[in-house]
Amino acid sequence: MRRCLKCSAKSVVYLPQHRLALCKEHYLEWYLKRVEDTIKEFRMFDRTNRVLVAVSGGKDSLSLWDALLSLGYKMDGLYINLGIGHYSELSRKVCEEFAKSKKAVLHTVELEKDMASIPSLKEMEKRPVCSLCGQIKRYYLNRYARELGYEVIATGHNLDDETATLFSNTLSWQLEYLKRQYPVLSEGNGFVRKVKPLFKMSEKENALYAFLRGINFVEEECPFAEGASSVEYKRLLSQIEEKSPGTKLRFYTEFIRRVHPILKQEGGVPIGACSVCGEPTTSDVCSVCRLKARLSLGSSSSSPSS
Amino acid sequence: MKVRVLYRGQTKELEFEKDRVSAGEILRALHLSKEYAFVVKDDEVLDDKDHIKDGEEVRVINAISGG
Ligand SMILES: [Zn+2]
Ligand SMILES: [Zn+2]
Repeated sequence: MRRCLKCSAKSVVYLPQHRLALCKEHYLEWYLKRVEDTIKEFRMFDRTNRVLVAVSGGKDSLSLWDALLSLGYKMDGLYINLGIGHYSELSRKVCEEFAKSKKAVLHTVELEKDMASIPSLKEMEKRPVCSLCGQIKRYYLNRYARELGYEVIATGHNLDDETATLFSNTLSWQLEYLKRQYPVLSEGNGFVRKVKPLFKMSEKENALYAFLRGINFVEEECPFAEGASSVEYKRLLSQIEEKSPGTKLRFYTEFIRRVHPILKQEGGVPIGACSVCGEPTTSDVCSVCRLKARLSLGSSSSSPSS
Repeated sequence: MKVRVLYRGQTKELEFEKDRVSAGEILRALHLSKEYAFVVKDDEVLDDKDHIKDGEEVRVINAISGG
């Protein structure tokens, strides 16, 4: 039986990459300190900033919201209802209940009202639905944060998300994507500052935090994420991690320490404002507005009166 | 022996050809690794080597998510 490094009680968590065994109380303490240290190390925000956290109902975003509230930050939530049947209904309920239990503010965006649900958008798009969905979420997150006057957007991206993305972008040397892979993206050009305070925490660490804090989170997977390449990469990387603990953390932190500064020197693509909605884009009309234009074309051409 | 497993909102029944299994064996039966998943019994997180007896109920949390 392993014992807690801090108090010698029976440990409930063992973290091989840190060679650390901890009891419940000291795990939660360790987790909060690690999140706080990450926020400070990367100067993500302070207690005077208004921060909007993107919540999906999953373990990562709810752990993030819970941790930041526990640490005394000013944090409201934004839930984007993607309209994915039972999965979205359940997610919304879980987010609403969490917000209520913490007496926190939760804003909700109804994708179906503003344009169309993800299942109907999937029908008209050729590219993988997860990349479409990701783009739409980023769009609404930035737009609502701006409209509601938040200075910072926080997302629950974890170490496994970041290393799977880094691995994928490295396999095809996507330099433009690699350039934007960093725990803090500064504000400017119409973008609100974006931060990932959990980027050093693995998925399991977040799930353990959520479980030990008694947070009710959605365990079900989005039905469209089935067979997503990111899950494959995560499984592959976990096999390497099992053989040599600490690999994921090293892969990502050494990328941001040694490679990212070199990539950053090269200037990025010029960014302007979308002529329709005003959100930042590299073209005249942003991709979400182009999608909306196709939606209205599609519905008018299919209506019998036209 | 049989173990009832609550996994991602569904209950499964796993059968083993012995009278007790470890938490690690439950994970392997579900093709999961301790790198990203863990077993909970009576609200306690189990260690890999902790045992589960016939007829007991556990919850398995798989932390990997896609998207
Ligand atoms: Zn302890
Ligand atoms: Zn636009």
